[in-house]
Amino acid sequence: MKIEKGVISSSQLTFMIIGFLQASNLLLVFSSRIVNHDSWLAILVGLVISIPIALSYAALAKEFSGKTLIQISDIIYGAYLGKMISVSYILIFLLTFSIDLRLFSDFLITYIMPETPIWAILTLLTFLSAWAVRGGIEVIARCSFIIIAMASIIILSTFVFLLSDMEFSNFLPVFDLPLKDFIQGTHINVSLYYLEIIIFLMIMAFVNKTEQVRGSMLWGLILGGVSLLILEVRNVAVLGIVSNILTSPSFNAVRYISVAEVFTRLEMFVVIMLITTVFLKVSIMYYATVLGLAQTLHLRSYLPLVTPIGIITISLCIISGDSSMELLHGGMYIWPVFILPIQLFPVLSLFIVKLRKKSKKLGANEE
Amino acid sequence: MFNFLSKKLRSWQQQNQNINKENKENDNSKKTKENSQAKLSSNLKENLDSIKAILGVCEDLIIREFAFGNKGQISAAIIFIDGMVDRTLINDNIIKPLMYDNRFICEEESLEIKNIDIIKGTILYVGEIEKSTTINDLVESCLSGDTILLIEKAKEALVISSRGWETRGVVDPETETIVRGPREGFTENLRTNTTLLRRKIKSPDFMLEAMKIGRKTNTAISIAYLKGVANPEVIEEAKRRLKRIDTDGILESGYIEGFIEDAPLSIFSTIGNSEKPDTVAGKILEGRVAVLVDGTPFVLTFPMVFIEGFQSAEDYYSRPYYASLVRVIRFIAFAISILAPSSYVAATTFHQELIPTPLLFTVAASSEGTPFPAVVEVLAMGVIFEILREAGIRLPRPVGQAISIVGALVIGESAVSAGLIGGIVVIVIALTAVASFVVPAQTDSGAILRVILVILAGSMGGVGIMVGLIGILIHLASLRSFGTPYLSPLAPLSPFDLKDVFFRVPIWAMLTRPKSIVRQNIQRQKFILKPTPPPEKKDKGGSK
Repeated sequence: MKIEKGVISSSQLTFMIIGFLQASNLLLVFSSRIVNHDSWLAILVGLVISIPIALSYAALAKEFSGKTLIQISDIIYGAYLGKMISVSYILIFLLTFSIDLRLFSDFLITYIMPETPIWAILTLLTFLSAWAVRGGIEVIARCSFIIIAMASIIILSTFVFLLSDMEFSNFLPVFDLPLKDFIQGTHINVSLYYLEIIIFLMIMAFVNKTEQVRGSMLWGLILGGVSLLILEVRNVAVLGIVSNILTSPSFNAVRYISVAEVFTRLEMFVVIMLITTVFLKVSIMYYATVLGLAQTLHLRSYLPLVTPIGIITISLCIISGDSSMELLHGGMYIWPVFILPIQLFPVLSLFIVKLRKKSKKLGANEE
Repeated sequence: MFNFLSKKLRSWQQQNQNINKENKENDNSKKTKENSQAKLSSNLKENLDSIKAILGVCEDLIIREFAFGNKGQISAAIIFIDGMVDRTLINDNIIKPLMYDNRFICEEESLEIKNIDIIKGTILYVGEIEKSTTINDLVESCLSGDTILLIEKAKEALVISSRGWETRGVVDPETETIVRGPREGFTENLRTNTTLLRRKIKSPDFMLEAMKIGRKTNTAISIAYLKGVANPEVIEEAKRRLKRIDTDGILESGYIEGFIEDAPLSIFSTIGNSEKPDTVAGKILEGRVAVLVDGTPFVLTFPMVFIEGFQSAEDYYSRPYYASLVRVIRFIAFAISILAPSSYVAATTFHQELIPTPLLFTVAASSEGTPFPAVVEVLAMGVIFEILREAGIRLPRPVGQAISIVGALVIGESAVSAGLIGGIVVIVIALTAVASFVVPAQTDSGAILRVILVILAGSMGGVGIMVGLIGILIHLASLRSFGTPYLSPLAPLSPFDLKDVFFRVPIWAMLTRPKSIVRQNIQRQKFILKPTPPPEKKDKGGSK
């Protein structure tokens, strides 16, 4: 019984991871409030820290090729404990999904459509993602290349157009902050976007060449991290200390672009980039949630779950916070602490599997 | 609710199918009883009567009874449909040899020529002759233009291929005009069309398989492909889908398209068509399969991918730089044709701050005093444009001139000067209209997308447009055409095939066929074909 018949290529996995990380553009503010103008350093260190963890995800996926995270935990921990762990994964997927959606809707309402009720935007976006999810993983994967190609062009071109407005003295003095704050900022970076690629453990099972998963995960992580770095460097260099106060520094930084006084007001490109990449990210998370739930409940298809989960998500988005400030506080102080243990759990699983294998080998040798 | 509906639909379909099956069985049983098994008898008169009974009183049926042999002792008859046969062929190559040449032979031989094999083998001067024994076969081939020769005391009849009817000549195709390249276009005659293709691809690998579809029309179709290149699975699938068709008539290749396409409810067509032999030959060489239908100059090709609409045969005949520039222009034109009206609506209704200030003044001044909101203006002008286009196509040529004057001057100019709509709306719609014809394959889908996007832009602004575009992307990504993803080679990405998407590399660099379409025999030419100047000859002493 196979729940998903689609097969994706390893390059599509890379594109999906890049797009997933590029969508985290909105989450950059969480750490930069704490580490101020050194946020580029926190992003870089966060990337370096998360690489080994991501590699261990890939190792776990390789150990159980063709199995998703839910099936893996069923195998390792048995039926009952495994189910409990699966449920906690799914809960995390669902909550991340709804919080990301909410943050993006908040952004749209703040900057573009102040008079539109939030549920209208939420419904529209959820409907779009549900449409993609119903198409299966292949559809999401095919959308990914076009989306990240567009997003990357926008990131690079805005960087080039803003070169004349950049003040690199904004980065000085480097590392002028307490180590504790730096660690906190790095922690936020690591758990809020880099390690959210735990979600790809649900998708790696459908990659056609299992041996290439490791490489594509690494490349996706690095390229995604670099594009976040470019964004952050651009924002801080253009806006300086102001970038830590704004809700969306990217949006405000791009407003400075003026090429020959004709190409002005290019911030709509930021919105285009955000809306497409967030759509990609949200669809991936939506897909992972629905697929995980279907596998936990041993359903034959995940399609009947798409609509109910969508409705639950819309309500979750609305009740997850009364205001942007509340969400910001949650994102800075509560959510990272809550989410990191679960993100590290697959590493523990890998450790257990390796240990078991070794002990089996030892046992076999003794006999 | 959807589940309920789809269940209902399914059970209804099933019922229908059952009824169809019964009908068909009835039909078949009747036929078997009446004629299909009926063999020819040895009595000429009986045979003629039974053929007359089937074809009834058709006024175009001609039965010519005559006698031949040295004393005229063998009576025979030829049967054909007037207008579908080549009369000179019948007179000179069938009747004349039988009646005239045979008078001079001696009696012994004359007895032998009663044998139908001898007539077929030694007397008739016609290229294609077959023998047949059942009346049903005879009637069928008679209706498709063959001539039937019945001879007294023979239990077999000769089916002589004598098709010849009035056809349109091979002329310039009207839908795809080009500057450089072959000028010929397909015609309504299937045989002419296959000839046009065969003349381009003179290879034994070029296969043409015949099929007949349509219970009443019996339309001949032909599946063309390159053996060893085209994906065998696609060919099999195509044949399977074509055999499934059970309808009374096929009048145009559009019917076939509707029956065999992958996404019947999509606004995008997943099967391409062309009127030009060189385009179709190029697609066959790339590994696609073509379906030619008798009675229409439009040939279907599949698998089709989205970017095929942006490629034109002329791209490959002109120099690569200009061809690449034109490619990019086509993509821009397509973007304008679906996005210009909605962007105008979104910018003027929701995002005035995005318009540069000097331009904003112009826009505001032109829409000053117009009574309708931008959405209504744009939608109304769009509808008026579609009406003008439709009228321009349907009306007789001389009247069409008048329509364009009325459309362009009266409606456009007067509506602006009367203050009904803003001048910029007219410009936007005109630009859209011009741009929409740059990519003919997507003109019809573009018209629908335009309306959807304008409505989204009118209700949600720029976010609405983005939502619409992402929706289109999802839809395109979920489409397949005979196993090939519709968005390939962009998604799934195959880097090697990008040589023919946004730019066109020189011909000598087009080493491979598209990977998403072809699985075998992927290399199409030798590796180093880039023209180079001849190596300099070493100077031999004295020759300067």
